[in-house]
Amino acid sequence: MRYGMGPEVLRDVSFSLEAGSLQLLTGPSGAGKTTLLRLLYLAEHQTRGLISLFGKDISTLSKAETPMLRRKIGVVFQDFRLIEHLTVYENVALPRKIAQEDERLYRAEVEELLEWVGLGQRQNAKPATLSGGEKQRVAIARAVVAKPDLLLADEPTGNVDPEIGERILRLFLELNRLGTCVMIATHDQNILDRVNARVFRLGEGRLTMLPPKPQHLAF
Amino acid sequence: MLTFGYRKLQLMPSESASGATLHIIIAVMNFLACLTLGAVLTLSDIASGWSRGLSASMTVQLAVTDQISAEDQTDAAMRVLQSWPGILRARALSREEAASLLEPWLGQGNVLQDLPVPQLIEVQIKSGEKVDTQALRAALGAVPGATLDDHKHWNEELSGFARSALGVGWAVLGLITLATLAVIVFATQAGLNVHRDIVEVVHMIGAKDVFIAREYERHFLWLGLRGGLIGLMLSLVTLMGAAWIWDRAAGPGSSAFTPHIMASPWHLLWLILVPLASAAIATLTARMTVLRVIGRMP
Repeated sequence: MRYGMGPEVLRDVSFSLEAGSLQLLTGPSGAGKTTLLRLLYLAEHQTRGLISLFGKDISTLSKAETPMLRRKIGVVFQDFRLIEHLTVYENVALPRKIAQEDERLYRAEVEELLEWVGLGQRQNAKPATLSGGEKQRVAIARAVVAKPDLLLADEPTGNVDPEIGERILRLFLELNRLGTCVMIATHDQNILDRVNARVFRLGEGRLTMLPPKPQHLAF
Repeated sequence: MLTFGYRKLQLMPSESASGATLHIIIAVMNFLACLTLGAVLTLSDIASGWSRGLSASMTVQLAVTDQISAEDQTDAAMRVLQSWPGILRARALSREEAASLLEPWLGQGNVLQDLPVPQLIEVQIKSGEKVDTQALRAALGAVPGATLDDHKHWNEELSGFARSALGVGWAVLGLITLATLAVIVFATQAGLNVHRDIVEVVHMIGAKDVFIAREYERHFLWLGLRGGLIGLMLSLVTLMGAAWIWDRAAGPGSSAFTPHIMASPWHLLWLILVPLASAAIATLTARMTVLRVIGRMP
């Protein structure tokens, strides 16, 4: 993968994600973690190689198929990417609305999710009034609200205090136990030490895989 | 439109920075379009009215001559005209009528006594019938000093003028439409650039292109309608003001050859179509632009 005429950001990257698996993606800044996630959530096209998602070669996806595939993927963007003129509730419920679900069916779920991430009292707030940690939690809630088959999170605990970070991780692990495949890109050594997961390490554009260590502690 | 409870979800913020400016531009475009259309319709009506009036009548002019007395000359001409096929009525203008026709140029007074003013006969043609003017002209040749004016020259000049003016009017309307299209394309692209992050997020969450396009279409539909209605209102006030000033300036009794601005309800109907067309153009242009821009996204 390369951007324009620039150097290759990713090469010799080959892996498969099993349904219901959990993996951590790590590596130094600029190693290509975000690029790899962008390829997985279809924000970029690979310049060479093959990417297959849910059994479909993404280079052969039609315009009509792409949105349906994206709805199976939840993404926590590193920069949150909340819609500023919508409330917290509206931001979180957006994936369900876009899927044209009836609000009566998910309103309670969205409110429960917001309570869970500690934003029950801030449902009607606009993102501009939220702290970095609160924005992070809104972004996470939006990513998981539609119970995606694949959850991709780019530094999800980067802006939150340890207590909230732990709650967020528990949420990811709970989703994983329920069958969602989760990939978390992180620098957080605490997560790398404590989460029992495969670790993908990116360095100089190459990917190496480390198996779960026996001493890893599950949350 | 999607709603959250009673609240509507708008992907584009309604208080978008370009909103007020765009409203003004669309309103001005509609104002100019309505004014031009109003002028074109009025001119078209005037031109066809003049043409109808001139085609339905002719004038026989009897020049003063020594060969025959004025009374005999008029009688001879009237006999030819009254028996001619296709002619409804022929009427010799009285001296007072001739004097009033000359009054704007020669002023009041006994001008007819001092000047050898020709006698005029007004000829009205039966509706839907044609008169063989060449044969009539030849027949009137027997009456000394008689000439026939079938208004053909005037009619051709007026028609030519009207056609040119109408052509200019339609060209101006075409340019205004083109400028409006360009403004909307520019505004949609600017809007997409300003809100690119929103579009990208919604795109990544799994929204279909048509869903995003519909949000923009709705935004520009209302913008086109609101701007269009403001433009229409302003143009109606201007046109009615112009009609009132024109009527006052022309004075009573001058209606035969002076235009009646906004005289027909059809004119109003055509003008009402302008903001509707503006909204339709804005909506379609925004849709096509959004689909083109989103189509380039991964």
